Amino acid sequence: MNLIENIKMAIDSIMSNKMRSFLTMLGIIIGISSVISIVSLGVGGQNTITGEFEKIGVSTIRITVKTAEAETSDYITYKDIEQLKEKIDYIKYASPLKYQTGVASSERKSRTSMIYGTNEDMIYIDNTEILYGRFFNKIEFEEGRALAVIDETAARSFFGTSKVVGRTLNIGSSANTKKVTIVGVTKSQFEMFGSMVEEDEMPVIIYVPATFLDILYSKESRISELYIMADSKENTEAAGILATNMLMNRHGNRDRDVYKAENLMKQLDQINTVLGIFTAFIAAVAAISLLVGGVGVMNIMLVSVTERTREIGIRKAIGAKTSNIMFQFLTESVIISCLGGIIGMILGFAGAYLLGQLAGITPTVTPQIVIVSIAFSSAVGIFFGIYPARKAAKLDPIEALRYE
Amino acid sequence: MIKLENVVKVYATGEISLTALKGISMDIKPGEFVSIMGPSGCGKSTLMNILGCLDRMTSGKYILNGRDISGLSDNELAEIRCREIGFVFQSFNLLPRMTILENVELPMVYAGIPRKERRERALAALERVDLSNRIKHRPNEISGGQKQRVAIARAIVNNPSIILADEPTGNLDTKVTREIMRIIQKLNDDGTTVLLVTHEPDVAQYSKRIIHMLDGEIIDDNLVNDRIIF
Repeated sequence: MNLIENIKMAIDSIMSNKMRSFLTMLGIIIGISSVISIVSLGVGGQNTITGEFEKIGVSTIRITVKTAEAETSDYITYKDIEQLKEKIDYIKYASPLKYQTGVASSERKSRTSMIYGTNEDMIYIDNTEILYGRFFNKIEFEEGRALAVIDETAARSFFGTSKVVGRTLNIGSSANTKKVTIVGVTKSQFEMFGSMVEEDEMPVIIYVPATFLDILYSKESRISELYIMADSKENTEAAGILATNMLMNRHGNRDRDVYKAENLMKQLDQINTVLGIFTAFIAAVAAISLLVGGVGVMNIMLVSVTERTREIGIRKAIGAKTSNIMFQFLTESVIISCLGGIIGMILGFAGAYLLGQLAGITPTVTPQIVIVSIAFSSAVGIFFGIYPARKAAKLDPIEALRYE
Repeated sequence: MIKLENVVKVYATGEISLTALKGISMDIKPGEFVSIMGPSGCGKSTLMNILGCLDRMTSGKYILNGRDISGLSDNELAEIRCREIGFVFQSFNLLPRMTILENVELPMVYAGIPRKERRERALAALERVDLSNRIKHRPNEISGGQKQRVAIARAIVNNPSIILADEPTGNLDTKVTREIMRIIQKLNDDGTTVLLVTHEPDVAQYSKRIIHMLDGEIIDDNLVNDRIIF
């Protein structure tokens, strides 16, 4: 009595009751497919976010001034940034980030926008691709020229085309606006949201020289947020420490802890942890339906044992051992569950791709997901098949032969 | 070959206990063809079940081919049913979803015989019961007499030392009964020991020896004088 015989017998029996077998499988199919689609979308989402972060750069550090505790003299200056770049070898790029919410308008359209003031290094720190034109340079930054860089979505929204180098926008607060000339168009910043959001609803970000932003809003050049990029991943931590040290020295505020350096990778880890817990939680809920499916398998196997009592009696009379009968029924429930698992897996991936299309996430299919789901559905088959199989195997042959 | 010593079987259901066999002793030698007769309730089916290792006796001794099988485990009994005993039932007891050939092959599946040999031996067994065509059909597509011939082929396919036939002609008409008895007689002539349970005197006349039972006891054990021989 070998495995092949058992499998052949089980398939014969499953095929002789096609509708019933399919309905039994359905519970497993639904359970496995929901777990698979949730997990692969969850992992896909994590990968997308990781990708976005890696685009910004794994060697990026954000230094912020704790505004609640800081005195005016503690704020970072342009001179500080110049010095950081000059004196610390590990620092490759450094740029301030100032932002104001304002209004930007073309002849066609007027939209609320985030106006980001940076220096020429920001394009490298952000790691954004320039599609047309260029980013503003060091001299233009130092002179505070009225230049702007926008992304292609914003360009289309303002002008109906993305080739807008040389055209102008009026930006600023409602009280005071200035005309800026667009020198560059970057790739869309919010690609990961895909088709989830209408183009006109995407937030607009306009990059201008930070010095120009100071002129536009007539403010002092206080900088509370600074991005630095180290020359390598390994030196990132050190670059952050050196930078804050130097800032404290220059501002003479070593006694007060007003600068905070954060590695963006750490934030990524946090986000991933949260996403992971979230995915696991939903998957666990979906797994409950798998359990319900397993109970369905057990139920049908019990019915099947009762229906086939006489068959079991005959098999025993002609020499089947208890273990032969046990394995026969166990094989049947495992095949039903496994088949359900495989179908569920295929449907789950298909569902994940469809949902992923809508959400702009590429679902991730890992060998682990495949192996775990097949192993899990087999385990369901064994777990819920054992009781009916034992019941069949323990039938008294004489009683079973008498059963009508 | 078969030796029973003072075999007792008591069915205990709740407070009532029923003694189905009250100390049966008998001796069956290789090559014999024995009929067990008696009214219903006399214990002949119980005796058959014990001889067929489907049931356990309450007390006594059962020696089959020199081996005491009174205290064997379920698995050891299954092994004996598989290799030493061939069952033929009144209601044929073929598996409806399998073809005739597969039905005959089934005991060899449990005996662990490889596929190719199974096929050959099943075909040979079907040949011995004069049923070589329709082997790919299912049991519900053939007649009662043919079904019983398939069941006999299934019983002999593992070359058992004894065939136990429980009312094998009970569901068959006279003409078909003759055919089946002729086949059983031929198997006996070829050396197979046959034990037949029947309540039809005509059928018992095909055998060589008749044991009469009543109320769980053997009341009569005689050789058949005017045996029907084909």
